[in-house]
Amino acid sequence: MKALILVGGFGTRLRPLTLSVPKPLVEFANKPMILHQIEALKAIGVTEVVLAINYQPEVMLNFLKEFETKLGIKITCSQETEPLGTAGPLALARDNLVDDSGEPFFVLNSDVISEYPLQEMIDFHKSHGGEASILVTKVDEPSKYGVVVMEESTGQVERFVEKPKVFVGNKINAGIYLLNPSVLDQIELRPTSIEKEVFPNIAAEKKLYAMVLPGFWMDIGQPRDYITGLRLYLDSLKKKSSPKLAFGPHIIGNVLVDESAKIGEGCLIGPDVAIGSGCIVESGVRLSRCTIMRGVRVKKHACISSSIIGWHSTVGQWARVENMTILGEDVHVCDEIYSNGGVVLPHKEIKSSILNPEIVM
Amino acid sequence: MGSTEERVVAVIMVGGPTKGTRFRPLSLNIPKPLFPLAGQAMVHHPISACKKIPNLAQIYLVGFYEEREFALFVSSVSNELRVPVRYLREDKPHGSAGGLYNFRDLIMEDNPSHIVLLNCDVCCSFPLPEMLEAHRRYGGMGTILVIKVSPESAYQFGELVADPDTNELLHYTEKPETFVSDRINCGVYIFTPDIFTAIQGVSTQRKDRATLRRVSSFEALQPANRSLPTDYVRLDQDILSPLAGKKHLYVYETKDFWEQIKSPGMSLRSSGLYLAQFRFTSPHLLASGDGTKNATISGDVYIHPSAKVHPTAKIGPNVSISANARIGAGVRLVSCIILDDVEIKENAVVIHAIVGWKSSMGRWSRVQASGDYNAKLGVTILGESVIVEDEVVVINSIVLPNKTLNVSVQEEIIL
Repeated sequence: MKALILVGGFGTRLRPLTLSVPKPLVEFANKPMILHQIEALKAIGVTEVVLAINYQPEVMLNFLKEFETKLGIKITCSQETEPLGTAGPLALARDNLVDDSGEPFFVLNSDVISEYPLQEMIDFHKSHGGEASILVTKVDEPSKYGVVVMEESTGQVERFVEKPKVFVGNKINAGIYLLNPSVLDQIELRPTSIEKEVFPNIAAEKKLYAMVLPGFWMDIGQPRDYITGLRLYLDSLKKKSSPKLAFGPHIIGNVLVDESAKIGEGCLIGPDVAIGSGCIVESGVRLSRCTIMRGVRVKKHACISSSIIGWHSTVGQWARVENMTILGEDVHVCDEIYSNGGVVLPHKEIKSSILNPEIVM
Repeated sequence: MGSTEERVVAVIMVGGPTKGTRFRPLSLNIPKPLFPLAGQAMVHHPISACKKIPNLAQIYLVGFYEEREFALFVSSVSNELRVPVRYLREDKPHGSAGGLYNFRDLIMEDNPSHIVLLNCDVCCSFPLPEMLEAHRRYGGMGTILVIKVSPESAYQFGELVADPDTNELLHYTEKPETFVSDRINCGVYIFTPDIFTAIQGVSTQRKDRATLRRVSSFEALQPANRSLPTDYVRLDQDILSPLAGKKHLYVYETKDFWEQIKSPGMSLRSSGLYLAQFRFTSPHLLASGDGTKNATISGDVYIHPSAKVHPTAKIGPNVSISANARIGAGVRLVSCIILDDVEIKENAVVIHAIVGWKSSMGRWSRVQASGDYNAKLGVTILGESVIVEDEVVVINSIVLPNKTLNVSVQEEIIL
């Protein structure tokens, strides 16, 4: 079985992290974002994954070589020379996606983190016999997104409404699709939107069905949602009693700690924290609701909450970092400094406190 | 008459990528020394100035960038100006004087009688032949270019005191907290080869102190120089300050323009200063037009030969347009740098801004700023490939590469 992951563009919403690394390779819960999806696809028997990209192909290709062998799955890149929207890349990758088997193929959005109920989706697709299946998820504020209006019992999709001004439903497009090869016949090789052009046509023919995603869903393309997404993800690990979660007297709630990370005495870690490989957390440190990327050193008595600390950065002694502070790669926060929502570009030293959210270039 | 003996080698310090972050976001896409001012790379200006020195044997660019970032530029400028230019990469920081010392063997290969040392990020008229002549008259080890600035701004620089008759450097202090002098160090120097001996002296002294520290705990407690490696020698604190008042160093004062180019805002100001200088030194580089066959040009404007500007546009003063840019009908450009491959559609307006490579501005869009070169958001910067849609206004903002603006913004940094 085949799959396409829409990786797309520059990941500008995840800057400053994406100034150092292309977005799909930014780690989430200590694993590159795209690896979460590739592993889920491999688990249900997908043999080939095509990455539709238009930015930094060299970096992506190096990453792929490493993981192709490790995972035993074929990974190829389909590079857009001009942005093709959300459907165009499918036409571009046509030859990789369809073969003689006539099997349907998956399409995933690279920013989405969820339970990936892919086997259930295959079963659902077979049972309704339509042309395309999409996963939808229930949200509190549907008017921020594209709402999918569907018939509750069968899941047959009636129509899509983009950012509706009145309430038409609370299920939105979760960005995970299972499509028959015939869908590709409807997509031209030009900038095309799958939500605005392709799906409405299939829905009109009554061949589009939606399945409600059980479990969590998050678009982690921006820092605030990335942090919320980590909470949801760790929560789902807890529900499955995953052995990956850390435990101990210094751990509160759900916490992920890479085995090569070192944590000192008298720390209090959690809830909802991920600590990456090679990190050193010195004694007396308090961490909550944050992600500490690879190679970071958090010095004694520091306190970090609701923030993301970029690769190889350091947070000084008694520093306090909170409220959506995002540190890029190689940022050094000096001792006793306070950062309230500072967004700091790579290779900077923070020598004076940031009292209000601001971007430090 | 001794002219074959009097060869000169010039060294231009160009810095490195992680050193100065003040030039972001432009430095995210290009090494600062290669950013164009008045249509020529920043480092091109001091290189052209060096060419005016008689018997110039070689120009070295010294920095921390990868060699490949300068390869193309170095070969092209060597051909264009017919002077050997070579890029040398420092493997680790040696300090402003240590860097020069690090390459002394190469520099002395041409057996120069004088060494010109320049900082690349200085916008200046570089009066090098006159300065060299003055240096010969003084007969010292070094001559420093100085300029008078307002007393309130002097603290940002190295302040010097010189003897008004002999021009000897009497006192030098770097970024003092209290006022010392309104004459400041321009970052342009002429030295005789004795400078290397002086730099070596500092290294040796530091080595001796390090040895002493192992012996005496008192020395170990002295804060000064405690953490500096022995081969890290700073020109200002380690050479100029100690040697002031010892009849080794002299000053040469310039009354022309001078600016430090640390921020993108200052690069716009510097571009204007160089354009104004072209009016005297190279008027053929400046554009002209009156709206009939070519666009209306006001003041000093540079337009690359491959750029296309609609005749109904009005350009200037202080505008520089780079290669392949396309300026549409009715566009107004004032005080701005338009980089390569930019497309500006009809009736758009740009005032006090830098529009990044491959960006595009829609019809009736407006990109402007207050024009305060020292303010963080005083000059609007659009990074590479930024799209400003029709009728959108961008004021006093900085936009990082690859963003599309479909709503107006003011006083914002957009990542």
